[in-house]
Amino acid sequence: VKSIHREVVFPHPPERVWKALTDPRILGMWLMEADGFEPRVGCRFRFRTKPAPGFDGIIHCVVIDAEPPSRLTYTWASGKQRSTTVRWQLHPHSDGTRLVLDHDGFGGVAGWVLKTMLGRGWGHKLRDYMPLLLERLAATADNPDGISREGLLECASPRT
Amino acid sequence: MIAAKHDAFAALADPTRRRLLELLARSELRVNDMARRFDVSRPAISQHLRVLRDAGLVRETRVGRERHYRLRARPLRHVYDWVRRYEKFWDESLRKLGDTLDRDDL
Repeated sequence: VKSIHREVVFPHPPERVWKALTDPRILGMWLMEADGFEPRVGCRFRFRTKPAPGFDGIIHCVVIDAEPPSRLTYTWASGKQRSTTVRWQLHPHSDGTRLVLDHDGFGGVAGWVLKTMLGRGWGHKLRDYMPLLLERLAATADNPDGISREGLLECASPRT
Repeated sequence: MIAAKHDAFAALADPTRRRLLELLARSELRVNDMARRFDVSRPAISQHLRVLRDAGLVRETRVGRERHYRLRARPLRHVYDWVRRYEKFWDESLRKLGDTLDRDDL
């Protein structure tokens, strides 16, 4: 199941985009500080950002695929979250590079909500149901009680 | 309240309960209405509904001798917001990547 999917065309050649995705100095400019990152399968590294309540600011990653300048995949896990997968694909494009991002593998409640929101793998019934659900969600938005951020981080953990 | 929070996640981990919520998002239903649509016994449906009710995901009202159930979406709202934050994080990062790529000193 594809969870978060984005495609962007950049007016730069794949080699330049690849460099921005894999050079820790440049990663720090647009994504996060990447301690110990190398685009090499098996490389364990950490993304580091500002901590927040319920989040120590560290994302633990392992490179599982690296093919310059076209493919880069690493696992992505923070806090109690189950490990998810971030995949970058770089395709030559007439204007430069088409960059495809897929962030997959959300489990539990977060996975269900993602699937539901994006309507992937669900039949026509879902499309009828989702607007209703969102309407109801909007109607309850002002109510402060509910689930803590800790709980939300946990919602991506396995529940088997 | 802590226990209830955890229950919400456990409640949603079960595929039958998620399907029940999908049904309840459309309309208020009785146990019989729901049992008819699932290959699950009436007592089993009642058990699932109890879990959902304890987790704050459905509201139960008595109408005469019958119990009616409806979705209470508030806990889902927070999960939805969490997912939206993740999407916003990537949109923002990709925007910054574009700016970074345009720099001369890369």
